[in-house]
Amino acid sequence: MEIVPWVFLIGILSVLCIRGVHGVRHSATAPQQLPFLGGGTPDTHAWQRYHIRYYSMTLLFIAFEMEMMFMYPWAVVFVEEGGMAMMEMGMFLAILSIGIVYAWREGVFRWQ
Amino acid sequence: MAVSVLSNWAGEAPVAVFVAIGEGMRDRLERLFNDARFVRAASPRHAAIFLIAGRMRLEDREDLRRLHDQMPHPRVTLLWNAEVGEALGDAEVFTGSTLEVDIEASEAGRSDDAVRDRLEKLWQELASGERSSEPDLLHDEPPNSWEGIGPHGQGGQGMMGGTPYGRPMAMTSDDLRDGLALDLYTARFGPFLPMFPPGLLLEMTLQGDVIQSVKVVRPPLSQAGGNDVPAALLRLARLLDVLGLPVLGQRARLAAVGGATSVPLEKLSRAIHWAGATLAIPRGLGAVEGYGDTRTRFANLVSVANGFSPAMWPGLTRSAHLSSILPGLEWSEAMLVLNSFDDETLSTLAAIVEGADEDRDGHDHDSGHMHHDHGGPHDHDRHQGHGGRGSHLGNDYHGRHGGHA
Repeated sequence: MEIVPWVFLIGILSVLCIRGVHGVRHSATAPQQLPFLGGGTPDTHAWQRYHIRYYSMTLLFIAFEMEMMFMYPWAVVFVEEGGMAMMEMGMFLAILSIGIVYAWREGVFRWQ
Repeated sequence: MAVSVLSNWAGEAPVAVFVAIGEGMRDRLERLFNDARFVRAASPRHAAIFLIAGRMRLEDREDLRRLHDQMPHPRVTLLWNAEVGEALGDAEVFTGSTLEVDIEASEAGRSDDAVRDRLEKLWQELASGERSSEPDLLHDEPPNSWEGIGPHGQGGQGMMGGTPYGRPMAMTSDDLRDGLALDLYTARFGPFLPMFPPGLLLEMTLQGDVIQSVKVVRPPLSQAGGNDVPAALLRLARLLDVLGLPVLGQRARLAAVGGATSVPLEKLSRAIHWAGATLAIPRGLGAVEGYGDTRTRFANLVSVANGFSPAMWPGLTRSAHLSSILPGLEWSEAMLVLNSFDDETLSTLAAIVEGADEDRDGHDHDSGHMHHDHGGPHDHDRHQGHGGRGSHLGNDYHGRHGGHA
């Protein structure tokens, strides 16, 4: 039946209208907008820049991710291409490994 | 009909209570919450009942009022042996016994039961709508007026000069850990933060979760906890909670309530061992001369739970203070350090030092000024530098960084 979705729609709209007319509960008061600090107050508000210390790990993740993306089409043609494909994948992995070794040297695995 | 069924059903739910703990009431409250009818809320936003237990300082009253207003409706306040004057409006009052040390243990148990019943009754009245929610105590005004002020309505001039939502923007400063200059966040934490000792108010400056500087504003309130096994178990429970092992924490708390006989303590300490709790605490964290590091203090607590007598520490050196122990730590590490000391040691470490500001390095001071006196000449300079001539200031910072790295 066509009528069921209309009933739902009208029902939802009327609920929204009633809420709108009735007045939605006033938004948070000034004390409620404060972050919870156990009673204390902040000097500044919370819009601030801070160091996301996992960003170097995300870069490393992308290195692995790209490897996998290339491996899917490679796996499809691997049987017919044979040794050539094997060598190409070896080269690709070698280049990526250099990236990982470099990241290692730069301290990506060190949480700081 | 349906609504009343629902509200009665809500009244059956565990009561979420936010507690502000006053003088000498901490251990008693931890026992009070060993009851499935109650949930101790971690913040007032999740609570319906605000329980204020024990004597409070005069200067804590404003913070209590702020916490009260942070609770969602419907809400109710219960004062338990709390002397806060008219600060909390016409809140419910429970006057039972005075402190636990003054009275018989059985009487304390009975009065705890009475408090539990009172809390439950309050919650049922609140849920069913018999009792109306408490109104706000503070004015609904931002700390600075800002709306419509300035060219973009952000409350001031320049890119960083406004006070949107009533508070100034954060300013950059050097970071202790890697020298990357990002924004400082200065705030007063406490006095009723659940992971803090009750009453401790610290003014901390953070960059992300790394603590840059600490100043003790108010010392912790004195607690009745001694050095016996139950007190040690409760301390251990708090540390386990902070470590993210609340189930083990609950077991330690139950063991503390039931005395040494009810829960086999060897089993508890074995569970703590196998949970890897000791390994989760970095070696050398929060080391204080003569007091070992956090890991040894934790191990000592576990051995107390195992039946050994608590280790006797030598006296603290005069220089040991929270303002030198905490900076450089991440928030989670700092909470472990704070909870690893016994009450007496902590109150020594958190003594208010006169003139502590003077020997701090400059940027702590700086941030204080630029946030407080708006319109002062110093303030003006800073904002100008950030807004209009940002690159100039940036160069300055980079220059200093070269030295760091």
